[in-house]
Amino acid sequence: MPEFLKGNYKLAASIEDKADAADSTDEFEKKALSRLGGSICFVSKKGLMWQGEAEPQASRATPENGDKDKAGGAGTKDSPGA
Amino acid sequence: MELGRKIAQALEAATFERVAGVGLANAEVNRPRIARSVLELAETPLGTGDTAIVVGAGPSLRRRRSLERLRASGFAGTIVAADGALGACLRAGVVPHVVVSVDPHPERIVRWFGNPALTAAPADDYFRRQEMDPAHREDELGANRALVELVDAYGPKIKVAAATSAAPAVVERCEQARMELYWWNPMYDDYDRPESLSRRLWKMNGLPCLNGGGNVGTAAWVVTHAVLGRKRIGLVGIDLGYAPGTPYEQTQYYPELVELLGDRYREAFIHTENPVTREVWFSDPAYHWFRDVFLQMAREADCETFNCTEGGLLSGPGITTVPLDAFLESAAAAGRKERTNG
Repeated sequence: MPEFLKGNYKLAASIEDKADAADSTDEFEKKALSRLGGSICFVSKKGLMWQGEAEPQASRATPENGDKDKAGGAGTKDSPGA
Repeated sequence: MELGRKIAQALEAATFERVAGVGLANAEVNRPRIARSVLELAETPLGTGDTAIVVGAGPSLRRRRSLERLRASGFAGTIVAADGALGACLRAGVVPHVVVSVDPHPERIVRWFGNPALTAAPADDYFRRQEMDPAHREDELGANRALVELVDAYGPKIKVAAATSAAPAVVERCEQARMELYWWNPMYDDYDRPESLSRRLWKMNGLPCLNGGGNVGTAAWVVTHAVLGRKRIGLVGIDLGYAPGTPYEQTQYYPELVELLGDRYREAFIHTENPVTREVWFSDPAYHWFRDVFLQMAREADCETFNCTEGGLLSGPGITTVPLDAFLESAAAAGRKERTNG
């Protein structure tokens, strides 16, 4: 606040920070809404299945647990469908 | 815009808030138990031909005796059930080839498989309160005991398409009942973004990510088409709504709607006439969102989806509505033709 706008008196009433209040309302709504959500996500504008992607041999991302083959492995293309 | 529809628009993001954290935590816990990818499921013996039935746990299943009619038809195609419909299937003498489970809830979902550890009615009234499976409402402990026996008896014949988000208690129960587990990751977000959780999961376990559509019934349809490659898919018990006359108190999200909206909770329900039966069914914001998502996915999918529920709220472009008997008859005719030609 510019110096020349500052008062030389004290207010009797305490003033709430509206930004904080709005944040807490948003947070409540977010939490309440999340309880109305589904049991699994939906990602719009994406296909039904993503099997990972082919990467150059030298830089190929290996599954961190190293058991990609055991787990059946990821393919290289999106599924037909959406 | 109606309040229910307005809330429904926020549920894609809300669902991420609800399940991403616990889903990823479950993926970590389940990691040592992952032996097979869901992609291997397509190579196993299931039903014949390219026709399948997906079974959800909606009220039309009982109202239309869909499972009894399915069993009587001798349907030879593939049967994929949502976990919530497993009990109804087995009680009707229908043993699904595949059961799909996705929900990360730590205690509730194991009940769909029969929970051997349940010896007293739990404080959580989720199963008693709802309209989903009346067997649980009438005699919760007796229904659980009977389901434990059925799943123990038929488990070895049933394969489970398990999301890595599934509750560890469900995984343990499936293993105990000697059900074979085939794994996949839920698609949590846009995998093209470098910081994507879906990408992170894929890098961790190498499993494909499936777009789940908000609920296990839709996820079962996704597995049936995108993984198993079935091209003609009939739906039973996938109502995505509540039957006429269902008390609001028995709907799935009633406590949450009351908490969010107080006395205005009734405004969140959306009433719609079924275009075939002319009955007025209704949905809450979640079911309304599930319906919108299903229609979006079905419209763009490379398969034919037949709504054989004879009720519910799932109708629109991409969905063909037919009576169940007509779908089963056309499947039988296609099977006969295949045998003649082949």
